[in-house]
Amino acid sequence: MSAPDLSVQRRADAGAPAPPRAARRLPRFGIGRRTLVGALSLLGLLVLWWVLTTGTGLVAPYRFPSPAEFRGALDQFVTDGYAGGTLWVQAWHSTRLVLMGFAVAVVTGVPLGLLMGVSPRAEALLNPAFLLVRPIPPLAWIPLAIVWLGLGDAAKVLVIWFAAFVPSVINTWTGVRGVDRTLIAAARVHGAGSRRLLTEVIIPGALPMIFTGLRLSLQASWTTLVAAELVGAFFGLGRVLDAAYRDINPAMITVAMVAVGILGAATTRLLGEAERRLIPWRS
Amino acid sequence: MKDIRFEGIGKAFPTRGGGQFVALDDVTLTVAEREFVAVVGPSGSGKTTLMRMAAGLDHPTSGQVAVGGKRVTAPGPDRAVVFQQFALFPWKTVRENIAFGLRCQGAPRAKQDEVVARYLRLMNMEGTEDRYPHQLSGGMQQRVAIARSYAIEPDVLLMDEPFGALDAQTRTVMQEELVRLTRREPRTTLFITHAVEEAVYLSDRVVVLARDPGRLREIVDIRPTRIAEGWDEMAIDAVMDLPSFTHLRTHVWRLLRDQIRPDD
Ligand SMILES: Nc1ncnc2c1ncn2[C@@H]1O[C@H](COP(=O)(O)OP(=O)(O)OP(=O)(O)O)[C@@H](O)[C@H]1O
Ligand SMILES: [Mg+2]
Repeated sequence: MSAPDLSVQRRADAGAPAPPRAARRLPRFGIGRRTLVGALSLLGLLVLWWVLTTGTGLVAPYRFPSPAEFRGALDQFVTDGYAGGTLWVQAWHSTRLVLMGFAVAVVTGVPLGLLMGVSPRAEALLNPAFLLVRPIPPLAWIPLAIVWLGLGDAAKVLVIWFAAFVPSVINTWTGVRGVDRTLIAAARVHGAGSRRLLTEVIIPGALPMIFTGLRLSLQASWTTLVAAELVGAFFGLGRVLDAAYRDINPAMITVAMVAVGILGAATTRLLGEAERRLIPWRS
Repeated sequence: MKDIRFEGIGKAFPTRGGGQFVALDDVTLTVAEREFVAVVGPSGSGKTTLMRMAAGLDHPTSGQVAVGGKRVTAPGPDRAVVFQQFALFPWKTVRENIAFGLRCQGAPRAKQDEVVARYLRLMNMEGTEDRYPHQLSGGMQQRVAIARSYAIEPDVLLMDEPFGALDAQTRTVMQEELVRLTRREPRTTLFITHAVEEAVYLSDRVVVLARDPGRLREIVDIRPTRIAEGWDEMAIDAVMDLPSFTHLRTHVWRLLRDQIRPDD
């Protein structure tokens, strides 16, 4: 009678060192082992980096910085700042814009996707516009945004909104259309009105796809922000990249790249955590 | 209570080639108030289609369906459906699934809890109320689906092979339980099944469908025999040993078997 409680099992894996039985059952090894392997592979990359740039000098410093130069650039960035601000100031500036643009895109895109999914009339009305707008690469909006709003924050938020809006709409829409018809029928024969149908059947049913859309939107947000800051900005990590490129400072370029990577991964991780909490029924 | 009237029902589905596939042809059938009618027929004879039209989930291409004298146009909680594929809400726990219809009706929390507890006991599923459907066996899912429909005490119960996924033992328990429930609180019931014995044991009448196109083959009256011999007071295995039961079962069985042609 007792179905396996997966959450408990997973927790047990994380706590204790992986038993030998789990080791044979590749590739599903425990979290502890997974972390170890991950750490080893990162360490290997670091060693390779040192060997290529410092140990053997196969890669010249003006092409790619050595670990020591990277460290130096990082120290400079953290203590003295670069291109108008320290690492924290620049990183926060970019993150804030990404979160703002992403939020605006989600708050507008998801409801529109829901509307298009449930209402054939709305779909008929909006779909042609979408077919037209959808193939435009998000970055192509940057010039227009700058012409409208200049080089400040508003233009960045606008560009992110344009870029992140489309995946949110499309995936929400697809998710709604993919909701099991029998579940909708089951809700209706048990007396659900249209409001309850939306909140308790259609939205939960579409939620996995909605999150897929959000992940794509978040990625698009970082991509477009960095691109927009490269094109023209007063602050932000894209501005740092641009300044470092003008200074021919590969070490600082790399520091900014790593910072963008870490921030992108961290925000994606947060989104994944939200997904895990909001979709507890998934096995 | 309400009756179900199928009047000259035809249902055709458009096919890819621009033609039509006739799933049901001219079916006229009345399920009286509080009557239990089982529908048997080969796969593809339109059993599910017939039920969906009574539920208001599908519409006949000719003829009409009326429930309680009112033409069916849309689904409503007076006609609860137990679906062939369970159709439990994956994001709701067992408790939330069973209470769904009651919440739609705005029943107070205490009443919901009471009903959920009662059905969990009845279905022998105590202790599973906080599980999600994917953490249940197929048979358990099916019992939750049945409980969800019983819980709203509908005038009409439409059940599409509700015991199909159960093991033999649970199935027997559920059949006896269904007899107990329906004799105590008779509801107008349309019960679809593949199992001939189940159909004969449970119902007042057995409707046999034929295929290609789906149509009425024969209606077998069970009720007089059941009342005369007092089946309801007997255990299911005792009933199945009775000559009268065997006779009816074999009759229905022949009606079905005669349809299986060598080219099938
Ligand atoms: N939406 C649809 N579009 C086209 N054809 C359909 C549709 N629904 C059902 N059919 C066809 O109608 C016929 C009857 O289907 P139905 O599901 O009612 O059969 P059934 O008697 O319930 O079969 P089973 O015992 O296998 O559940 C089948 O041949 C099926 O392919
Ligand atoms: Mg069927």
